Amino acid sequence: MENFKDELIIEIKNLSKNFKNLKAVDNLNINVFKGDVFGFLGPNGAGKSTTIRMLLTLIKPTKGNIKIFGKDLQKERLSILRNVGAIVEKPDFYGYLSAYKNLEILSRISGHDISKQRIMEVLELVGLAERYKSKVKTFSHGMKQRLGLAQALLHDPELIILDEPTTGLDPMGMKEIRDLIIHLSRDQKKTVFLSSHILYEVEQVANRMIIINKGTARVEGAVKELLDASNLSVTFEVNNVEKAKTILLNTTWNQKLKGITNNKMEFSIDNNDVAMLNRFLVENGIDVSSIIPTRSLEEYFLKITEEAS
Amino acid sequence: MKIIILFLLISVTEIFPQQKIADELINAVITNYNRVKDYEVDVEIKVDVDFLKVPDSKAKIYFKQPDKIRLKSEGFALLPKEGLDFSPAALTRKDYTAIYEQDVMLNGIKTSLVKIIPVGEQSNIILSTLWIDPVNKVIRKVESTTKTNGTFTIELYYNDSSKYPLPEKMVFSFNIDKLNLPKAFSNDGNPPSKRKRIPDAPTKGNVIVKYSNYKVNIGIPDSVFEEKQ
Amino acid sequence: MITLINIELYKIFKKWRTYIGFIAIGILVPIIHIAMVFEGKNTIDFMTRNIQQSFVFVGNLLNTYLISYIVLTSLTVHIPFLITLVAGDLLAGEATAGTYRLMLTRPVTREKFVTAKFIAGIIYTNLLILWLALMSLVVGYFIFGVGELLIIRGEMIIIFEQKDVLWRFLCAYGFASLGMTVVASLAYLFSSLVENAIGPIVGTMAVIIVFVILSAINVDLLQSIRPYLFTNYISSWQLFFDDPIDMPEILKSIGVLALHVVLFFGATLIIFKRKDILT
Repeated sequence: MENFKDELIIEIKNLSKNFKNLKAVDNLNINVFKGDVFGFLGPNGAGKSTTIRMLLTLIKPTKGNIKIFGKDLQKERLSILRNVGAIVEKPDFYGYLSAYKNLEILSRISGHDISKQRIMEVLELVGLAERYKSKVKTFSHGMKQRLGLAQALLHDPELIILDEPTTGLDPMGMKEIRDLIIHLSRDQKKTVFLSSHILYEVEQVANRMIIINKGTARVEGAVKELLDASNLSVTFEVNNVEKAKTILLNTTWNQKLKGITNNKMEFSIDNNDVAMLNRFLVENGIDVSSIIPTRSLEEYFLKITEEAS
Repeated sequence: MKIIILFLLISVTEIFPQQKIADELINAVITNYNRVKDYEVDVEIKVDVDFLKVPDSKAKIYFKQPDKIRLKSEGFALLPKEGLDFSPAALTRKDYTAIYEQDVMLNGIKTSLVKIIPVGEQSNIILSTLWIDPVNKVIRKVESTTKTNGTFTIELYYNDSSKYPLPEKMVFSFNIDKLNLPKAFSNDGNPPSKRKRIPDAPTKGNVIVKYSNYKVNIGIPDSVFEEKQ
Repeated sequence: MITLINIELYKIFKKWRTYIGFIAIGILVPIIHIAMVFEGKNTIDFMTRNIQQSFVFVGNLLNTYLISYIVLTSLTVHIPFLITLVAGDLLAGEATAGTYRLMLTRPVTREKFVTAKFIAGIIYTNLLILWLALMSLVVGYFIFGVGELLIIRGEMIIIFEQKDVLWRFLCAYGFASLGMTVVASLAYLFSSLVENAIGPIVGTMAVIIVFVILSAINVDLLQSIRPYLFTNYISSWQLFFDDPIDMPEILKSIGVLALHVVLFFGATLIIFKRKDILT
């Protein structure tokens, strides 16, 4: 995935939001470049939705500044929003109207001249063309999610903001959304700002990401770099820990042993050494029942997710 | 009480000659009026009463001897009961005692003042005074005091060149003591009408009726008087 | 703006609750008509019993004008409820449905959004009053015909000539529209504050009922508050049925009601512009 480093699409500076006693977002700084699929990660309650709502002017920041397409969001809201498509949390529609009618109303409000053909095109893209006449109140959660995506894409915006777009979808649906995001970025050169609480999901599609917790940024950078830099740890589940310890004692593997829990031995090694270590243990009479790799990023993310819940 | 005092007064003065004159006057008026067998007339009614705001109305009155009378209108019309039937026979239908009092001038015309006292308790009228024009044999004015509705006055104006003793104008004036308007559909919470009244004050009023286009003795069928009002 | 208003009207008339008002009036008014077919003469007799003692009158007093007048007086609490049903849902309903997120992320200013909804709500209000007028006057005309209008105002009996009545009703219904617009504005204001339509509906009706009760209690202190309660002016449509017409009082009432609309709507605009959308 390319990024055009000279064109900032989203520029968030020192963004803060306080609700009475709660600091929901605290001094957040984010830069999103044109063509990025930017992963905005954090456990539930980290401040992701609040930030997205501020990006979309649903909430006013307490402090800080947001620029989109190089324009100040407070001053040029209308011209900015004309070029932004978004899903905020669970997509809700007018249940008593059909899918088609909902999209038609939204396009008319936005002042976009959207043809019937375009509406059907977008419904086709998200797999809802056959149900265009059905009232939205008859839709499943997954279908509403797809319709949410449809309304975000309807007017062919330059920036697409997706707040947990795969929530409630089955694995097939999740994959379809991920493929769509990649298509939007790679083929249509859109910029996508994607929030999620699933690291794996973000890894699959994003090129840059930030992890926030309790309203502040914790980790940020290019996804590949973060993952490469993130130390891999591999947990070997063995049948005889004592024997394995003895065998490893005088080898270089011992330095890489991080810890032992029951019959699980955690090593700080990279992908390439896994097979070698496995062979070494087996050849020395140790049965290995499972090998589980984890990255410190994932661990870190899991840890803060646990804390949040 | 009034009746007793009057009786005593009358018994002191010579009652019989007064009564005889009175009866003669009244009979002359009735005979004159009986030339009219029936009539149909257009009326214009103007109401000017304290507690009543009513638009001027147009109607037709039908009369047939001896006592058939009917008010008809395309729209709305309001007429005092005693003014609907002003035939002298109406005034004298029940038993009464009539006393001639004196001659007085009324609007430049010499009239004879006759007092009529209804006999018996049925009548609503306690006492009536008639101003009778002996020359033209018409009643020019009536003043009656009623039991429940105060005093009213009827002034009748005639076209002297007219063949029949039928008025061209009647002014009905009255004075009643108490007023009992139903509160239904009037809201205490509302801004009061601009025309303010002091409640329970004596009510005054005038109704002026103009008669025109008399059609007399045309043979009005009874069916005209049979329709429901 | 026209597009927005059309969309809001479309949404209003796609909801079943909108039709409750029309159906209610469509049932209530004919019931009153039927009652008057049987009891109308007694009503007239009752109203005119005093003049019947001394007067004879003819005329079609039991006509559509009298009945429409009665309908207008007896429905001054019912109609506000039907208004709040829709007006209270205009904003709160979006919160309940979760559609604020959808609408307010469009390139439309919040002012336009709020104004368009408000105008749509006013249109609904006026349509409901128009429906009331049609059901009363027009349906009544076919059953009872026209004639003079007899009303009792305080100590006066006033009878209006047939040709002098219709324009008064048109003004009265127009005035009633304004009164109901105040009710709609208040419900709308409450609607901007909460996330559920029940609150604004109950809240607005509570305000109206409390104000009406306060106005009715004959205690000096409360009577001095009366001129400041907008409910006091909503029934001023009756001023059109007076002779002569108290124009200054009517204009004052119109001014007070219009001012309330401006204040309530203005407050709504300010609140909504600053509101954080959390639903």
